[in-house]
Amino acid sequence: MAVCIAVIAKENYPLYIRSVPTQNELKFHYTVHTSLDVVEEKISAVGKAMADQRELYLGLLYPTEDYKVYGYVTNSKVKFVIVVDSSNTSLRDNEIRSMFRKLHNSFTDVMCNPFYNPGDTIQSKAFDGMVSAMMVQAS
Amino acid sequence: MAQCVQSVHEFIQDSFVPMVAVLCSEDAEKVTRKNNLNFSELLRPFCRLTSEGHMRDPNNQVQVVKNLRISVNNVVTRPSVPASGTPSLAQRLLLSEVVSTCQPAEGGVANVITAGDYDLNISDRSLKASVPWYRDWRDTLTELSTSKHYTATTPWFEAYRETFLQSMPAADHEFLNHYLACLLVVSSSEAVPVEKFLKLSQEQHRIQHSGEYTNPKWFIPNTLKYYVLLHDMSQGDEHRADSVYEDMKQRYGAQGCYLLKVNSRTAAAGADEQIPDPWSQYLHKSKQVLCVDGSLVNSLDSTHPLQLDTSGDTPGSLDALRAVAVETKAGTAAAAAASHGACLTLNDHDRIRQFIQEFTFRGLLPHIEKNIRQLNDQLVSRKGLSRSLFSATKKWFGGGKVPEKSIAELKNTSGLLYPPEAPELQIRKMADLCFLVQHYELAYSCYHTAKKDFLSDQAMLYAAGALEMAAVSAFLQGGAPRPYPAHYMDTAIQTYRDVCKNMHLAERCALLSAEILKSQAKFSDAATLLIKMTSEDCDLRSALLLEQAAHCFINMRNPMVRKFAFHMILAGHRFSKAGQKRHALRCYCQAMQVYKGKGWSLAEDHINFTIGRQSFTLRQPENAVSAFRHILTNESQQASSQQADLDSVLLPLPYINSSATRVYFGHERRLAEGEKQAATHVSLDQEFDRDLAAMWRDLEEQVVASANRGVVPATFQATQCCLNSQTDNLRFPLAVVEEPIIVEVVFRNPLKVPLVLSDVSLLWKFTLKDFSRPQDAAVGDALAFSNEKETLTKQSDDIIATEVIPEFFLNPEETKVARLKLLPHQTGQLNILGLVYNLASTPSTGGVWQYTALVLFIGPSPADGTSVRGRQDLEIQGPRLNQTKEEKTSVSHGPDRRLDPTITPPMPLLEVFFLQFPTALLCGEIRKAYVEFCNVSGVPLCGLRVVSTHPDFFTFGSSSLATPLTPLSPTSFENCSAYKTLATPPGATPGSVAAVTLVSAGDFGLGEGGSGTSNGVAEIPLEDRVLKPGQSTQLPLWLRGPDHEGVHEINFLFYYESAVKGGKISHRVLRHTVFICASRSLCVRATACRSNTLPEEEAEEEDERRNGSMLVFVDVENINTNEAGVREFHIAQVSSSSKQWRLHRCINPAEDKDCKLNSRERGKLCFRATRCKPVQEKYIFADLSLGNEQIISSTTPCADFFFRRCPPSDSRRPPVAVETQGRLSRSQGAGPGGGAEDLTSLVRKCNEVDLDIIVLWKAFVVEDNKQVILEGQLHVALQTIGKEACSLTQKEEAQEMVLLKFKPELPPPMTRPSMEQLSHLIKTNLHYPESYRHPFIHKSLCLVPVTLTLSNCSLAQVDVIIDLRHKTTSPESLEVHGSFTWLGQTQYKLQLRAQEVMRVPLRACFLHAGVYNLGTPRVFAKLADQGAMCETSQQTATPALIIIINDT
Repeated sequence: MAVCIAVIAKENYPLYIRSVPTQNELKFHYTVHTSLDVVEEKISAVGKAMADQRELYLGLLYPTEDYKVYGYVTNSKVKFVIVVDSSNTSLRDNEIRSMFRKLHNSFTDVMCNPFYNPGDTIQSKAFDGMVSAMMVQAS
Repeated sequence: MAQCVQSVHEFIQDSFVPMVAVLCSEDAEKVTRKNNLNFSELLRPFCRLTSEGHMRDPNNQVQVVKNLRISVNNVVTRPSVPASGTPSLAQRLLLSEVVSTCQPAEGGVANVITAGDYDLNISDRSLKASVPWYRDWRDTLTELSTSKHYTATTPWFEAYRETFLQSMPAADHEFLNHYLACLLVVSSSEAVPVEKFLKLSQEQHRIQHSGEYTNPKWFIPNTLKYYVLLHDMSQGDEHRADSVYEDMKQRYGAQGCYLLKVNSRTAAAGADEQIPDPWSQYLHKSKQVLCVDGSLVNSLDSTHPLQLDTSGDTPGSLDALRAVAVETKAGTAAAAAASHGACLTLNDHDRIRQFIQEFTFRGLLPHIEKNIRQLNDQLVSRKGLSRSLFSATKKWFGGGKVPEKSIAELKNTSGLLYPPEAPELQIRKMADLCFLVQHYELAYSCYHTAKKDFLSDQAMLYAAGALEMAAVSAFLQGGAPRPYPAHYMDTAIQTYRDVCKNMHLAERCALLSAEILKSQAKFSDAATLLIKMTSEDCDLRSALLLEQAAHCFINMRNPMVRKFAFHMILAGHRFSKAGQKRHALRCYCQAMQVYKGKGWSLAEDHINFTIGRQSFTLRQPENAVSAFRHILTNESQQASSQQADLDSVLLPLPYINSSATRVYFGHERRLAEGEKQAATHVSLDQEFDRDLAAMWRDLEEQVVASANRGVVPATFQATQCCLNSQTDNLRFPLAVVEEPIIVEVVFRNPLKVPLVLSDVSLLWKFTLKDFSRPQDAAVGDALAFSNEKETLTKQSDDIIATEVIPEFFLNPEETKVARLKLLPHQTGQLNILGLVYNLASTPSTGGVWQYTALVLFIGPSPADGTSVRGRQDLEIQGPRLNQTKEEKTSVSHGPDRRLDPTITPPMPLLEVFFLQFPTALLCGEIRKAYVEFCNVSGVPLCGLRVVSTHPDFFTFGSSSLATPLTPLSPTSFENCSAYKTLATPPGATPGSVAAVTLVSAGDFGLGEGGSGTSNGVAEIPLEDRVLKPGQSTQLPLWLRGPDHEGVHEINFLFYYESAVKGGKISHRVLRHTVFICASRSLCVRATACRSNTLPEEEAEEEDERRNGSMLVFVDVENINTNEAGVREFHIAQVSSSSKQWRLHRCINPAEDKDCKLNSRERGKLCFRATRCKPVQEKYIFADLSLGNEQIISSTTPCADFFFRRCPPSDSRRPPVAVETQGRLSRSQGAGPGGGAEDLTSLVRKCNEVDLDIIVLWKAFVVEDNKQVILEGQLHVALQTIGKEACSLTQKEEAQEMVLLKFKPELPPPMTRPSMEQLSHLIKTNLHYPESYRHPFIHKSLCLVPVTLTLSNCSLAQVDVIIDLRHKTTSPESLEVHGSFTWLGQTQYKLQLRAQEVMRVPLRACFLHAGVYNLGTPRVFAKLADQGAMCETSQQTATPALIIIINDT
């Protein structure tokens, strides 16, 4: 399904970034990083007053030649980015939405771990497994 | 966005200017050539018109033409650029050249853009612009920096754009860059100028109309011909010129010709005059353009362009082009050197300006006006029918096209061609004309009309052109009558690119469009447009456009910094592909600002890696190093995929941790040589320990003090053999010539590949000095040498031999030390600079790591390919200074001179070996070992001393007492006692009267009093006190096991001096550390009791008089735990040592005399001790042998250890110190000083003994199935009567537990002596017969004489009262029967002098037979001086029983 899944901290550094191993990892890093501009733009587009009601799912951030980049921002300004192959037409908005929801739930679990230090890179096996599950389906 | 220097309007206007051709006669060319210019070049700086022009449009409206520029070019007939869409190779080369020569200014205006959290410094990392091109930009740049709209400039982009637009080939579908007019230039020096004009005119006509040339293209068939007569003021006849001009005016009309007078100045005269050179900024560009335009000949040596051999070499081969480019550059340089316009005065400049203005306003504009009018008329006349007519014809011909088109061409839409005179083209022509004279409104409507026509004809190329120009003219229209039609542009670009496949035009269109969009703040659209224009075919263009797009992103209202960064990286990538390395580096560096330190390590590493590589190729090693270091130190080597293709790294590899460098002076020690054990000294293998260092320093200070008669010299500096980061490195260390200096360098391999260093050696600099000469003389011949130049190695090895490590292997990520040796052969000042090595990675690691690590070159590397010669400096920063206030507030570091040793003249070098040195001893065990001193240097050695932390552990014996009995060499020594013994005479009973010797402490190397004994310095008894070079000597050494069990670290410091005085080094030291494991042996406790019996009759009178008699009980317990090894202990002898007492005899019961102690057994020995007269501070040694041989305890080693262990026992214990003083004052005869203090001491004194018991034992130990006899001695110091003393001082341990008291506790001197103490003043004894027979029948009263002996124990006079009366208070009447009475005086008052013994004769009277206790006399005593004190009852003696027998 996804070719790259990334979790970005509020301060815009990566907490977790994983891509399909066969592909160029660096390219995804660049893509995800660049997408943060769009995320910020989208967040700032929503007014301050409306910030509470803002929907977490940001939708398609931008399409590149080969990929589609989707974004999601939690209330604590942690960003999730999912990069999907453009050729994969089976993925609709709803599927992406549910992927983000799953990601968010799993992320919440990670944060609930008392041994996890907020701000550290995520090394949870459970989270890893869940992300793999989302990516494996593609291959 | 890159802010352009020109405004948008200016830029677009300048992109499309009226083109004017020049045809020049040879003579005229010669005239201009004087100025180093051709005619068109001559005009070029003056081509912008400063004044306004006016013209009328077809509707007779006056149109103002402002700021018009015309372009004047030589006619070049050869087509350089094929009209296809792709730029030619030459053009690419030119553009690339233009871009690469244009670099950002170094130290340019710092330009920080704040976007969100990011502060971007856009014009950072500027590279030096060394091209003349830069000069004209500088002015504009500074101008711009003051304007408020300034953001960032990308001059290379503008240069590219300008060049690109200039080099646009003339196309058929548009006329903007077709020639409108032709200047025909003839010199006045021509014989018949008019004829020449005619010729040129014909020539022009031929070029335009003959059809021979497709190039250049002409706007209108009847091109404006403007006749210019060029007159050289310096040569020609002015009148003639004027007359020719008159003639011309007649012929061509006043508006069609001009007389231009130039060269008013002679070249020679004008040298001193400064004339501005307006050409310089135009020329090199124009030359390059010229070069691309087809004349591949430098314009400097070009003759008439029309005479060029057009069939000459074609710009096909890249090499040729390169050569030309180089030539052009060279030409530019030459041209720049030779100034332009040397023959022109300012007046001439004005004339030229005037000429252009005249030409434009009188010739060109009217010409254009006329043509517009004509075209307009044509169009208007056709207008009525054209629309309907054309559409009708189309219908009639069934959609057929204008005749010239075939169906095939129709399909190939770009190939649609109109004939030159087609009406659609006339509209376009008119539009272009209007556009050129800035009549944008009319131009727009014409373009619009043309567009419609073209579109309906499906002539896509034409349509796109019209669309493009329509959009541009709509934009340029003032007052904004209609919104800018951005979609026109988009359509145009799309058409050019996709339909016509003409990237060239598409690019031009995109450039214009982007500029317009930017001016309207539509950055997002501009960025999209620019990004769309990037393509695979042209890296340079893609790079430039991406960079512009990136700039657009940060100029958006919400700056998109990350997009900026990303596109910068893309741009950098393309730049690097295009070979624009500097630009690539700049892009990456700018992008880096966004990625830096934000946690995107993979991306960051990638950028760093690229920066590093680019910097390296650009020969900026510092930047490369820092970039690579960043990658490596961040341990982000997960990006192994990137580094797999890493073929060159520029790093000082491996890392050297300079501050961890250690320097060792001296030879590396052999620790063991056969059975010899060398002194441990200092070695590089030891870790530095601050406490140990302090300890050694203290020891050295002690020994130096003792060598200098107790004073430490002010210049004293502890010897440091091994320097590291924690030692004091402020002074230049001293090294000795011919002794090696070992430098330990810490290498770290940060990489995941193993590294091999080969031929590693130190680099040094050496200044020769002869210290033996006076200082001023030494300065004269100060010669400096160095091994930095490899050729000098041979020679420098004679001065300082440099060791080379052939190979040094570093595993991946390993930290390893290398030890490099230098051996100085001369005296002087040495500076160790660094080290050199060859570096290579191991070939075995496989192909993935093709790591040729390059190190900062110090010279040409050996062309080996796999290894490079590297050099790294060792620079050590000293410790931070923190003494003064300034130092505290600032960060300053002191010097570190670790690596700058001073090489001094030779010094003696001592080596010490130990033989038969034990590692384990029983507590108190005496062992004899040997020590060998060896002087291995060429200088005699003297003043050998040793100091130790445990001075009681060893002794060299006393030199004054010859000990001939001990064998001097260790080989003859087998199982022989360490003691000196005498066989006891056969018949003597063991334990009988002791042998007595007198010995003074001074004989054992211990001075009397504090200083000599408190420090542990011992002089080593060398024969004749000097050790000659190469000489060695062996000395016996006795060791005694420490009193406490456990492992003891014992440190020796040997001190020695050179026999040759006056060297820089006053002394040298040698350290030795041993570890001794002590195990428990015996525990000896001793008690002294006052003997109550009177000395026996046979005792000497003297002793008797001194009433000294004491019982000493010695408890010996075997506390050894090693039951297997130690079988039993024998007490061989008990000796005493004291100044006043001696053991007299053993009074044990006879059967106990054999004193064997098995494990855990305890034995008791009783001795009688007697007091003896002190002899001049001499110690009395008394030996009571319990075995069959007497050990002479007063000799080495027994006495040595006795003195070493107990510096007069009382001084060890602080509380007694007061008393010592008291005693001293008394012994000095100071009068009875009075006071309670004196009293107390006096009183206490009488309870004191000062007797040391030495228990000498033998232990039978089984070792390796062999019985070994070990010997040892234990000391017990008896101090107070009745108090137990123990050989194991547990007291000290107890003391450790005492609370720390910060106030010194006041000694309790004021307290009076206790009753208990006072009651010991007088010792009483009753002397009487044990039984007495008396015939009571005969005599009822029995009188028995009793002698009461009173002895004064104290040293003061004592008043004594003896009361003989029975106590009447006793309630019991028991004694009624058994009572007796004392006869005579019942009370005596006596005075006893110090230690006086007095006998009082008494008589007791008994009435009955029986047993009586005579001990009833009560004795009261008081010190004579102390009147206030009452008498104290003295301790009563034991019951004195007398038996009275009735003798019948």
